[in-house]
Amino acid sequence: MAYSEKVIEHAENPRNVGTLDKNDPNVGTGLVGAPACGDVMRLQIRVSDDGVIQDAKFKTFGCGSAIASSSLATEWIKGKKVEEAEAIRNVDIVNELNLPPVKIHCSVLAEDAIKSAIADYRAKQTAKRGAAE
Amino acid sequence: MNDPFKIFGVARRFDIDLVEFAKIHRVLSRALHPDKYAQAGASERRAALEKAASVNEAWRVLRSPVRRAEALFALAGVAVGENHEPKPGVEFLMEMLEEREALAEARAAKDLAKVRALGSAMAARLAETEAKLASGFAKSFAPTGPTGPEPAAAELAMVVPFLGQLRFYTRFLDEVSLIEEEND
Repeated sequence: MAYSEKVIEHAENPRNVGTLDKNDPNVGTGLVGAPACGDVMRLQIRVSDDGVIQDAKFKTFGCGSAIASSSLATEWIKGKKVEEAEAIRNVDIVNELNLPPVKIHCSVLAEDAIKSAIADYRAKQTAKRGAAE
Repeated sequence: MNDPFKIFGVARRFDIDLVEFAKIHRVLSRALHPDKYAQAGASERRAALEKAASVNEAWRVLRSPVRRAEALFALAGVAVGENHEPKPGVEFLMEMLEEREALAEARAAKDLAKVRALGSAMAARLAETEAKLASGFAKSFAPTGPTGPEPAAAELAMVVPFLGQLRFYTRFLDEVSLIEEEND
């Protein structure tokens, strides 16, 4: 199967690979996996007090499309407000990377990873507010 | 789907003897070899060729634990694959990610002993999961098993998460083989 140029570009030079401190209350960690292929993806965001994603990092063990999807996702969400990042749909990733039908699940994984990171961030913020009261 | 077990002339089960199955594959392939059909008519020759292809496809499915499990689920009428399998739990994913990271580190450090140790630990987990799948399928395909196909399918659906685990473990072990090859 031929990968698109954009997929190859991201897979060979992935952006934002790494980790953020998962114990930081401003950091949200998303962890997702695809049972149908055995890929694992971790995506983390650090959010400023005014709700802007300052930094995003990922680590993906999977195929080129899964790496490219998560790499692109981190690029896109950096500088965005949490609500804007939440609006990213897997089809946006499919279109940008020209993913073939068999690789659509990789983009779904990336969308799930963003959502899961945001959910974790919100849960931490709620806990923090609860502790402050 | 063609029933690979039917093509091999054996009962449906998960825990198969690969050596025995390789033998069946050889015998079937030899009997269908084009040389044996050199004098046969065109349609007979084509039929033998098609049958040989289906024998090879059946072997490709049977020899791989993941594909074999997928075939058994399909034969039992249990949907698996994309969108049909439960999402793995966070704890399991965390563990898989840590294992993959440890493997990546060992690879970078060219620590082949560590790579092998991680591989054999994962192989042990794979064997455990295979045993769980085997007993799940044994209940479902037992001749005196649960009445009718429906209760069997419902029971078998509870075993589906093990197929997901099998894929994660297999992925890991493929990676181990790859690292071993590049260090040969």
